[in-house]
Amino acid sequence: MSEVDMAVIKPEMMKSYIWLHTADGSIQQVEQEVAMFCPMICHEVIQKGMGSSKNYAISLPQRVNPAMLSLILDYCRFHQVPGRSNKERKSFDEKFIRMDTKRLCELTSAADSLQLKPLVDLTSRALARIIEGKSPEEIREIFHLPDDLTEEEKLEPLKNTTDDPRIRLLNRLYAKKRKELKERQKLKNIEVEEERVDDRSVDDLLSFINGDNGDSKGIKNSKSKKKNRRRKDQQKNTSANEAIKNHNKEPNGLNQVCCSAEVGQTVRAGVGATSNLHDVEDDIFDNKNELDDGDIDDEIDPALKEKIDRYCSYELRKSSKLTVSNEVTMEVEDFARRLNSDWPERMQEILSFGHERKPVHFSLNGNGSLRRYANSEQR
Amino acid sequence: MRNRKAINTNNEDITNILPEECISYILSLTSPADVCRSKLVSPVFRSAADSDTIWGKFLPSDCYDIISNASSSSSSKLLTSSMSKTQLYFHLCKNPIIIDNGTMSFGLDKATGKKCYMLGARRLSISWANTPRYWRWKRVPESRFSEVAELKEVWWLDVKGTIETKILSPNTTYVAYLVYKFSSSRYGFEKKPVDLHVELGESDAGRTFRIFLDPSANIPQFSREREDGWMEVKLGEFFNEHGDDGKATCSLREVDNYTPKKGLIIEGIDIRPKDSR
Repeated sequence: MSEVDMAVIKPEMMKSYIWLHTADGSIQQVEQEVAMFCPMICHEVIQKGMGSSKNYAISLPQRVNPAMLSLILDYCRFHQVPGRSNKERKSFDEKFIRMDTKRLCELTSAADSLQLKPLVDLTSRALARIIEGKSPEEIREIFHLPDDLTEEEKLEPLKNTTDDPRIRLLNRLYAKKRKELKERQKLKNIEVEEERVDDRSVDDLLSFINGDNGDSKGIKNSKSKKKNRRRKDQQKNTSANEAIKNHNKEPNGLNQVCCSAEVGQTVRAGVGATSNLHDVEDDIFDNKNELDDGDIDDEIDPALKEKIDRYCSYELRKSSKLTVSNEVTMEVEDFARRLNSDWPERMQEILSFGHERKPVHFSLNGNGSLRRYANSEQR
Repeated sequence: MRNRKAINTNNEDITNILPEECISYILSLTSPADVCRSKLVSPVFRSAADSDTIWGKFLPSDCYDIISNASSSSSSKLLTSSMSKTQLYFHLCKNPIIIDNGTMSFGLDKATGKKCYMLGARRLSISWANTPRYWRWKRVPESRFSEVAELKEVWWLDVKGTIETKILSPNTTYVAYLVYKFSSSRYGFEKKPVDLHVELGESDAGRTFRIFLDPSANIPQFSREREDGWMEVKLGEFFNEHGDDGKATCSLREVDNYTPKKGLIIEGIDIRPKDSR
């Protein structure tokens, strides 16, 4: 130590000091017994022999700024004195944590990086008490968090029980939908666009279910054929999609809706998802990413799939209006019921946007090309 | 639809200050309901909320012991042994496992992590249950237990179930429900009310409620339908403090001996924390 440093220490006290420096470059010395209360500092001193002089000051982690260091040292200074009673310590602690939330968080982080567990516990408990019982909006307000869970993220994957293939499928569908919506956001945000976004995704998902299950279940040959056709037609359809988007054609939106209306109808009739419907969807609105999921291992029977169809149709239509419940635990059957009751309203909405009054259906010709025909059936 | 902000440069944002592990630790000091709610706060919270350190804390301390008691034939035992703590927590909330030789089921209350039990019909004391003339035991697919008790005809109806408070979660108010349904040919329950009673230990301080189990049109209905398709009626409630109050006894009786009754199918008695579900 230099002469200057020696002068600082009162000779009669002869304390040892530990040198610390924070990430912003400032250096200070701290009484040894206080600093050693922090496991991280202790480790540096004992294992690495650091901290004995200014040149060998211990580098504190980045999360420890001078203000936090000061607080932490206050804490250590108090608690490292062995003679204090529990009551005294508790009383000190209670006063100590009275600070604004942001500082509490910084302090938690700093204490955590110094491995000072008692202080981490103290501050964490204080923060836990702040969080308890509050709604997500309130929590966001307190911690100044932006509401940047997008609608698709609020489509919370249901908490999974590993033996429930429905849930797994739903989660995958959510993931699909999220991906879907992310891509859409890159395009211009037209209101009409939004309508179509919903619809398109519904069908993607429906065909996703069908395509993927075609293989595992092997129920309908047409499904695997469709899958192959889809692969081949991907390019074609993607560019078709682009064209459609660019020209902002309503009819397609309506078609989607009507195809799904078909779903609603057939569903109500209790029939399994029609292959007509799937033909339509697969080929119009194919998506390049659809087949990426490699881990399709679900054996989903048609009745169950139908339920999921209903669920997804409903869910995606409603996603922009979805009121986020605190715990997303709704059951598939519940949604089906809601879908049926809300359907007329939704159809009305969508039809009122369109140029065409009549819903139109696509279907496949024998050679795989699309054919339009008017659907006299209307919800 | 909101545009996703690129990177949050708001330096007030605690998720820039606190690492995710710290957030998980803080959340583990709240409650299961709080953690589920916090998933809707922000993406970081959502991720932090899925940690095993949190849900492991919310599992009852003797959870694994209880599971090891499960009937070894049940597939749930295999399943639960391979699950993470988070998965196990949510699994037990939705799928009670059968324990104690198939006579009882064990699950968790999602919002609090407290233990829930259902006493199967075989575990109850039902007067005359072993006399085939009065009661029949049968297998129904919609029951979690292998057998349910069906009332053929009886005058003296006395159904009682007990549970040791030491297996319940401490500092909890529990409610007991009779889980039942009626067969198509029921009789007697619209004529005569039944006595419902719950008491703790030897005290006999519990209250008795008297209601019609099968009320006619303008009489209040106290039963309600459960998610699993059965009906339930509240027998009573009790507060379990430390688990050292001995047994809680729950009963349903109609013993005036003047009215024959038939057609009641009993699955068991469900005991769960108050205000769950």
